[in-house]
Amino acid sequence: MKTPHDKNNGPVLREHSYDGIQEYDQKLPNWWLATWYITMVWFVIAWVAYYQFGLGQSDTHEVEQAMAKIAQQQKQELELINDDKLWAMSKDPKVVEAGAATYATTCVACHAADLSAHLAGAKLPGLPLIDQEWKHGGAPTQILTLVRKGAPDVTKGMPPWEPQLGLQRVVEVVAFILSKHNPGEPITLAADSPLKK
Amino acid sequence: MTSAPTASKKLIEFDDHVVRQFMWASMIWGIVGMLVGVIVAAQLNFHELNLASFLSFGRLRPLHTNAVIFAFVGNMMFAGVYYSTQRLCKARMASDLLSNIHFWGWQLIIVSAAVTLPLGFTRGQEYAELIWPINVAVALIWVVFAVNFFWTLAKRNEPSLYVALWFYISTVITIALLYIVNHLSIPTSLTHSYTVFAGVQNALIQWWYGHNAVAFFLTTPILGIMYYFLPKAVERPVYSYRLSIVHFWSLVFIYIWAGPHHLLNTALPHWLQMLGMFFSLMLWAPSWGGMLNGLLTLRGAWDKLRTDPVVKFFIAAVTFYGMSTFEGPLLSIKAVNALSHYSDWTIGHVHSGALGWNGLMAAGLFYWLTPRLYGTRLYSVSMANMHFWLSLIGILIYVAAMWVSGIMQGLMLNSTNAAGTALTYPNFIETLTAIRPMMGFRIIGGSLYLVGMGLMLFNLWKTAKSGKAVNETREVAVIENPTHDTLGLKTTFLSDPITYVLGGLFLAMGWLFLPPGADMAALIGTLLFAVIAIRRFAVTHATWSAWYDRLLENWIPFTILTFVAVALGGLIQIVPTVMVNRAKNMEDRIQQVYTPLELAGRDIYVSEGCYNCHSQMIRTMLPDVLRYGDYSRMGESIYDHPFQWGSKRTGPDLAREGGKYPHSWHYNHMKDPRSTSVGSNMPAYPHLFEEKFDQKTLPQKIATMVKLGVPYPTMTDVEIKETAIKQGIDIVEKLKAEKLAAAPDTKIVALIAYLQKLGKYDTPEVEKKLQDPTKPELVPLPMNPDVNRSQNRGAE
Repeated sequence: MKTPHDKNNGPVLREHSYDGIQEYDQKLPNWWLATWYITMVWFVIAWVAYYQFGLGQSDTHEVEQAMAKIAQQQKQELELINDDKLWAMSKDPKVVEAGAATYATTCVACHAADLSAHLAGAKLPGLPLIDQEWKHGGAPTQILTLVRKGAPDVTKGMPPWEPQLGLQRVVEVVAFILSKHNPGEPITLAADSPLKK
Repeated sequence: MTSAPTASKKLIEFDDHVVRQFMWASMIWGIVGMLVGVIVAAQLNFHELNLASFLSFGRLRPLHTNAVIFAFVGNMMFAGVYYSTQRLCKARMASDLLSNIHFWGWQLIIVSAAVTLPLGFTRGQEYAELIWPINVAVALIWVVFAVNFFWTLAKRNEPSLYVALWFYISTVITIALLYIVNHLSIPTSLTHSYTVFAGVQNALIQWWYGHNAVAFFLTTPILGIMYYFLPKAVERPVYSYRLSIVHFWSLVFIYIWAGPHHLLNTALPHWLQMLGMFFSLMLWAPSWGGMLNGLLTLRGAWDKLRTDPVVKFFIAAVTFYGMSTFEGPLLSIKAVNALSHYSDWTIGHVHSGALGWNGLMAAGLFYWLTPRLYGTRLYSVSMANMHFWLSLIGILIYVAAMWVSGIMQGLMLNSTNAAGTALTYPNFIETLTAIRPMMGFRIIGGSLYLVGMGLMLFNLWKTAKSGKAVNETREVAVIENPTHDTLGLKTTFLSDPITYVLGGLFLAMGWLFLPPGADMAALIGTLLFAVIAIRRFAVTHATWSAWYDRLLENWIPFTILTFVAVALGGLIQIVPTVMVNRAKNMEDRIQQVYTPLELAGRDIYVSEGCYNCHSQMIRTMLPDVLRYGDYSRMGESIYDHPFQWGSKRTGPDLAREGGKYPHSWHYNHMKDPRSTSVGSNMPAYPHLFEEKFDQKTLPQKIATMVKLGVPYPTMTDVEIKETAIKQGIDIVEKLKAEKLAAAPDTKIVALIAYLQKLGKYDTPEVEKKLQDPTKPELVPLPMNPDVNRSQNRGAE
């Protein structure tokens, strides 16, 4: 009987014919076997490294570390921000321009392009940002906190934007809003303001 | 050896009638399914095309996928299986009645799917959307097919089973297993049911099913068809018998394990993700074994590629098979998947498989079959060539567009600033706008392919008209005292190959699951055992070959071994997950139970097919967490029957949507998505504002939930309805404050209630757990590799 290893005889054709179909019995291609063995060895190495030797971080650990780092950094940045700094930024055209760009994509749907919260006479879900009436306080840092954290009851108001936009963009947007106002202008609290209680 | 078999000659007529029926059905349903595909592709770019509630994307997309998989490829598979099985068994199908029931039953199932899906009747799991009465019908018809098929095997006049039949056997038994387990549900009405499994268990089982529907519905039967029809068309012997053996067994064994690659970086336990990823990588070579056996069979007959359209289609199909089975493992690498998952890249991947592999194989098969089934010649070779080039260009445009789109959107969504503290593109719509041109190219690619299908139907219809339906008759040798089908189970299992494979697997499982120390011992044991097995094989491979040749003459032992091979992976992954991942074992967070109104809203969410575009699973990746909030925990979907983790983000993730926006935002958004999200491609849902949510079946639904272990407080039917309406009135009041009007019993109110609940959880107190050790971890089994790792590592 010939074996497929007999190089002289070429590939072995198996005798049996299935409805006219015959089969060679070629050796498995070496490169094909090699790719397969590599994937198997890789599996063993990776599993042993992670599970038996405990190497590497778990996914949850990694993402929690990254979030903790961000929180730490934001805390440091926030310590540097106060009302005066925000007013100063509202006079910086570069900051205001960046804020306007974010406003145009993120805020217009509820507060309108002209900050009036009205579109063609119809009231939009947001509150106007050009008048001097504020629901959650009109001081720059109060506005900043609101944009960062959202309204106390988000089902009735603003969602928190800091996670998605990041602190820097939030600061820019606040600077943009402040650019439509002046330091020292009179501020009234809205009738339904939670700060009144 | 007993006395040599004797045979008598007998004239038989093959049942080619049923082959013709399945073939035409496949072509017609294929065109319907692909037409719906072009429509839904267009809807993604032009939201105005969501013309009515029953024609909206969320309802039509399941129709597209189900039609292409089960109607187009299903019927094609049956045509190929019925034709080749009869010839390979040298026997007519065992029962004409069963063949008939199979054909007409399957078409009835397709028609009922085409009616129910647009009406919003769905189970809410991908490729498993059909409602429970249809599920029962599918299972029954599949059994009819199985009986007919195995009965034919039992009656065969050819002792040895050809490789095509191996693949058919694996298809018949595995699809039955997958389909039944994944469709286990408790009905609440004639058109609605809740899945038995919830949350992470449901996710794992769904993708065990979903991935292996690709494996055992779209791959193995088509490989069987390749093994029969390709050598027939090129008139050359198959390249390698031993490659067939190795790639068949490794394919059916490994495929089953790879399901979790659909759930990478999610709340699925990490060890399952690891298995899913690495088994996907180990699947690459077995898949390419099939491709090699297809391509290399053509050696010595490459000239046919120029002249014969059938060969053109087959070889292009096998090439696409090779391409997508390379792409699959690539996408299963966790780091790649972090980019590709939920994006159009996956869509491109499945279409290079469906259009390239399945579609072109179908075309080759039909061009080969029709002239033979009608005793004539192909009406137009040049039209077939035209079809070939249209298909090829169509696929390439489609797949390239999806590559660009998927990679671009994935990069944009995952991009952060240099410090890694903020997203570069915080606005989701921005990433959608960027891929719109690509979504346009996809419509063009898909349309070209559809035109090609139309050409084929016309060409083959003209071919059929030019001939006359003929059933092949053939004189076969009927074996009267067969020596085949006599192998006992003992000889089957107590053989070297089986002993060594099962022994090695057993040790390897010890390596994966045993606690520290024992795991390494098991690994060393596995490796030593493998060395012994290889040495043994080197000496006695002749007996191994003889055993396998004998196995091929025994269909029952062969089928049992195939079943064992496919069942193992599922058992090892699913059983521990079902046993461990229950509410009482959840560590940090437990989902809050839905109120009656929220449950009604959830059913609307499922029925509208929102999961086709929105995921509810924030992955353990920084960009996901920045964009959507804290990553999703296992316990946060523990009461979700069915789970709605999703697999594509055409819109943003909704896992923590609850409380993000006021009711009025959702109200406006559902009425006109563009009013709140400029540039959105979401359909508007005006009908939700008119239609009432289903109050009548709500008590039955809650009773079913209770049966499934969801801790609802005891409520009478009246209380359930009152609670629902009361909550509805509360929402209506809040809307009224914003000058928006809605009736408290409308669907929109229920949907808002549900959306506002998303992401709400309780934190179970550790103390309470300690006080109430109801059934502590009594058994050390199943052992959890993730827990073992922390012991290996010390505290993390």
